[in-house]
Amino acid sequence: MKNMNLYSRGDKLFVYINMALIAVFAISALYPFIYITAMSLSSGFAARAGTVVLSPVDLTLAAYERVMSDPAFWNSYKNTFIYTFGGTFTSLLLVIPGAYALSRPNLWGRRFWNLMVAFTMWFHAGMIPFWLNIRDLGLLDSYFGIIIAFAVNAFNIILLRNFFESIPDSFQEAARMDGANEFQILWKVFVPLSKPAIATITLFCIVARWNGFFWAMVLLTDEGKIPLQVYLRHTISALSDDEEFSSTLLSAPYSVETVTAAIIVCSIIPVLLIYPWVQKYFNKGIMLGGVKE
Amino acid sequence: MAMIDKESSAGTETIVPKLTMSQRLDRIQMHLRREWQIYLMLAPVIIWFLLFLYRPMYGLQIAFKDYSVFLGIDGSPWVGLEHFQTLFQSDQFLRALKNTLIISAMTLFIGFPMPIILALMFNEILNETFKRTAQTIVYLPHFISSVIIAGIIITAFSPSAGIVNTVLGWFGVDPIYFLTKPEWFRPIFIGSGIWQEAGFQSIVFLAAIAGVNPSLYESAVVDGANRWQMMWKITIPCILPTIIIMLIIRIGNLLEVSFEMIILLYQPATYQTADVINTYIYRQGLIGGQYDLAAAAGLFNAIVAFCLVMSANTIAKRVSKTSLW
Amino acid sequence: MSGVFLEQIVKRYGAIEVVHGIDLEIDPKEFVVLVGPSGCGKSTTLRMIAGLEEISDGTLRIGDRVMNRVAPKDRDVAMVFQNYALYPHLNVAENMAFGLRIRKVPKDEIAKSIDEVAKILGLTEYLERRPADLSGGQRQRVAMGRAIVRHPEVFLFDEPLSNLDAKLRTQMRAEIKRLHNRLGVTSVYVTHDQVEAMTLADRIVVMCDGRIEQIGTPMELFNNPANVFVAGFIGSPPMNQFEARLEDSDAGPIAHANGTIIQLHGQEALRGSAGREVIVGIRPEHVMLTAEEGTAEIPISLDLIETLGSEALLHTHVGDQPFVAKVETHGEIGHLQGVNALHVKPERVKLFDKESGRALGQAA
Repeated sequence: MKNMNLYSRGDKLFVYINMALIAVFAISALYPFIYITAMSLSSGFAARAGTVVLSPVDLTLAAYERVMSDPAFWNSYKNTFIYTFGGTFTSLLLVIPGAYALSRPNLWGRRFWNLMVAFTMWFHAGMIPFWLNIRDLGLLDSYFGIIIAFAVNAFNIILLRNFFESIPDSFQEAARMDGANEFQILWKVFVPLSKPAIATITLFCIVARWNGFFWAMVLLTDEGKIPLQVYLRHTISALSDDEEFSSTLLSAPYSVETVTAAIIVCSIIPVLLIYPWVQKYFNKGIMLGGVKE
Repeated sequence: MAMIDKESSAGTETIVPKLTMSQRLDRIQMHLRREWQIYLMLAPVIIWFLLFLYRPMYGLQIAFKDYSVFLGIDGSPWVGLEHFQTLFQSDQFLRALKNTLIISAMTLFIGFPMPIILALMFNEILNETFKRTAQTIVYLPHFISSVIIAGIIITAFSPSAGIVNTVLGWFGVDPIYFLTKPEWFRPIFIGSGIWQEAGFQSIVFLAAIAGVNPSLYESAVVDGANRWQMMWKITIPCILPTIIIMLIIRIGNLLEVSFEMIILLYQPATYQTADVINTYIYRQGLIGGQYDLAAAAGLFNAIVAFCLVMSANTIAKRVSKTSLW
Repeated sequence: MSGVFLEQIVKRYGAIEVVHGIDLEIDPKEFVVLVGPSGCGKSTTLRMIAGLEEISDGTLRIGDRVMNRVAPKDRDVAMVFQNYALYPHLNVAENMAFGLRIRKVPKDEIAKSIDEVAKILGLTEYLERRPADLSGGQRQRVAMGRAIVRHPEVFLFDEPLSNLDAKLRTQMRAEIKRLHNRLGVTSVYVTHDQVEAMTLADRIVVMCDGRIEQIGTPMELFNNPANVFVAGFIGSPPMNQFEARLEDSDAGPIAHANGTIIQLHGQEALRGSAGREVIVGIRPEHVMLTAEEGTAEIPISLDLIETLGSEALLHTHVGDQPFVAKVETHGEIGHLQGVNALHVKPERVKLFDKESGRALGQAA
């Protein structure tokens, strides 16, 4: 099938047009990133004048200097790391044993517990009761609140549970006869056997945590605890509204746009760094996520 | 479990003597002594669900109460369906409802075919390196946060500096401040949604295509079909069940508009076309402090969504069973 | 070594009973094979011995300990699974060491045991490999090795050879037998393959529908099946069976089957049973081409000859009933073409009660 010589002329034309269209798609997916990078490296004046299209105009690091000189930026970066790693770790700590238990046929009430988990995918109390609950639990404005309140989601549990269920019973039975208890079976047999699935949910968690914005904005009022995404949001709106900032624009070597772009680049870089791993596993994950129930 | 099925097929129904209370307790005790560890593993997750997802469901009762922070959820007086009446007499809520439906319907009509087309196109690429590179790039936007995407949009559509107005300027068009124009909000929002998700959503269809029996193509080649014909006569019919199921799922999630993005992009000038139920709830409840009214709007939203999802699930199950012709 | 004793063992899933009160005594060092068609309860029985399935009723003892409520790990049994259940993330040595490590056996002791067992099984050079890099036979051996290193009182085998191809299966069968002779561990082996059962077992337990049909040595089962089910299950090709009515004749009892008469000289005990409806069973192997003194003649019409080499299968009809005979070829099959009658010694003819299926006469 892969031999081009077998193709008719019409087919070859079809293949080339198709490739060209795909290339257009890919470029349009990539272009905004190129544009933003170019913008972040351009001078405020060039940006204001609308001359930045593909590559930096009047190459300067002024925007980055301004971003990095703000201690709040570094603080929010640190917070994002705390939420990402703390959150992912907590998720795994809850989800792995939970999914294992839900996959065991000898768990009494298994259908009930599974339904209890799955039901939350279909019905959610909504924003207000959720927020009131967090408030009543005293978890507003706390690192722990953000980490714990979003530690589990039904999708990840079901994904991992399905994977565990696909492992033949005999592995578990063999380990049981070898004298392993449930914790040992989980840790020494199921976890190593489920590396792809666990990697998948780990990456899902990391990406979700890194990108998480809305609830962090709503639940955190203390500027010292906000993650990068919220900082980015605040900065963008602050810059846009800031009269003083606008009035200094002519003299400043950066503009609203270049600074925004610089923060964006700074916050995308970690995502790009783990993207190869994400790429490797999410394909699988999507398929594992043939979530039943 | 397969073992049990196999064995029980040969089994015979017998009348099992009813267990006495003590026998039953004895069984429970023995079971727990043997299996306590899995319950220990389950407990944290269940507690989490109760605490963070089921406890708010209890709190939903404020939708029927005149909620006061001082009286608390339990102490506030009941008001029946008053909040729902208020909602359905409120222009703002009705506008949000209308916008939700319009935006999700538009997203569905325009956004749904894109991943399918992309998947079909990817499938026709023979050069593996090219294909993988293109896929990697097209999937990338999915992993970018909505704040960043909003930031990019705000920058790109900025009246003076943005690339969009720059390009329009080349054709002599005066700068447009897109983000303040209600008529531009939906195209920008839906367009950015497609840009972000179309590539990623194509994975499901690519997998379906990969599952097509290759001998179908081989016999088509022998019969003299060209690529175009094979796509229409083999690939598309073969992935039709997947397409239908994905469509049903999407319809089930119709009310799930990515409001996070809307919050980031809209402003009072564009509420008219941009405000959806969830942004309405956010403004009324979390910003305006009208918790009970907003909770009622949320409950309405959740119930409609629940009904949609459940019927979609039912239909999808039926379709996936019968459509594997 | 310990024996295994099952007393009135019952297994129920909800209201469905799949094992109906089994009694079985397995002697120390004995190799017992549970055989039967799928769904007969043999695997369930084995898993109850292992502790992987709860025993609904009855008593299980290993040695002199009642095991009903003992956890699998404390029963001192080891099991070889149908799919081997080798941990793909561990190499051969680690796979075999898994159980010992869990039990906190000292490291040097583990190493010693593994060395020893690897030698016995010829796995020494594969100890560093992962299961994925092993052939089917090697994996099978590792699975056994994992059981052996623990020095259990009882080995349990759950269809361990069913994933292997025919040639390897024969080879591994012999290896299991040798291993058992060498180690002398009490073994319970489940299979649906009667050839495996015949070749491996000291005693075979034939099961059907959750009941034991017969327990005996392979030859006992072959020569004197207790009922039609065992007769049909043990032996390949299976015993020919057809319905007949007993009658008396001057020369002795005869079986009258649809126009064909089979002499039953010598089975004098049957005199007086005239009129009884029976099932006649004749093993394909017990049929001869030439008459001898006292043999009964069975007229047949030959349909087809299947040549196996030193033997041939004659597919024939007796009246309207199919009948298979297995005869020696002595290197050629020409003389088989015109056969129109077969001969069988009357004492080889088995009779079963038509109603109950139980063997009549001496085998009862």
